[in-house]
Amino acid sequence: MSEATLPELAEAVEHEIGLHQHAATNTGTTNTKLGMWVFLSSECLFFGGFISAYLLYRDRNVSGPKPREVYDIPFTSVTSFILLMSSLTMVLALAAIQRGDHRRFRIWILATALFGSVFIGGQIYEFTEFYREGLALSTNVFGSSFFVLTGLHGAHVTAGIVWLLTLWGMSMQNRLHVQDSERVEIGGLYWHFVDVVWIVIFTVVYLIPT
Amino acid sequence: MSDETTVIEADDAALLPGTPEERADEVAHGLSAIPPEEVPLLPGELSAHPSPFQYVMIAVVLCVITALEVGMYYLEGEISDGLLVALLLVSALVKFVLVAGWYMHLRTDRPIFRRFFIMGGVAAIILYMIILTTLHAFA
Repeated sequence: MSEATLPELAEAVEHEIGLHQHAATNTGTTNTKLGMWVFLSSECLFFGGFISAYLLYRDRNVSGPKPREVYDIPFTSVTSFILLMSSLTMVLALAAIQRGDHRRFRIWILATALFGSVFIGGQIYEFTEFYREGLALSTNVFGSSFFVLTGLHGAHVTAGIVWLLTLWGMSMQNRLHVQDSERVEIGGLYWHFVDVVWIVIFTVVYLIPT
Repeated sequence: MSDETTVIEADDAALLPGTPEERADEVAHGLSAIPPEEVPLLPGELSAHPSPFQYVMIAVVLCVITALEVGMYYLEGEISDGLLVALLLVSALVKFVLVAGWYMHLRTDRPIFRRFFIMGGVAAIILYMIILTTLHAFA
């Protein structure tokens, strides 16, 4: 039991049930969320460029291993599955914080970061195996385009993990309330975007026959 | 104006959302039992987000499509390459739309987000198809 003044109690209740005023803008949404969507839109062009470079160069090897000689499809399928599942835990984290369920939010957001870390671990293992099989960044144009594309995606996932852990840390310090759900949603948008980019990379780079 | 401050006894449980029965129900059922329509809308949201159960169902569909995709990979040589590529691209597109529509909430959020995202995606496809065709990538 604790003592609180009426204004303090009203503020606490407002925090918990999420009765907050959204910033009035002529787009009907906050600039932060709109800005994230504009950023993601520009990221389509960013990744599109590297996927195109890969499509252009993957069959133009004059030396070194070819794509089909190094890819381990069962292994990459498992890491892809893990990344897909991280999107599920991300939306469950958002649903939890919107309901004021901080305990489940922390569990789901940590699970998302963990899945992302496993994916990155798998990518490091894959890169190491490719290197042992003779495919490095400078071996041939296929190697260059493959490592740059998947490496940049991995860098995006790593940035996402840092973001998720920051949200988890804020929640642990009781600095993330129901009315901050939009922060979680924006982090989630970024996380889902790296997931949809991987959906495209997995199909175009690994599965489509050369 | 009185400068008296009302001091009341605050019960921590009273600050939590829902009734004690609803919270007990939520704990008993694992995923949140609070209906999605009772959750406050986020900025830019036109209608309630999907429920946790719907999110799980979408994940199941995504897993099934991924399994089918991997199965298709091993059909190389059994069916024509053109058909295989078409099937793989359609599978990837379905997964993309499911994640963007349900997990990124483009279905229930304001159309402005959808327009921005589609604009970026379509611009990327058109631009890079022109470049790849010019460089004879598909020859």
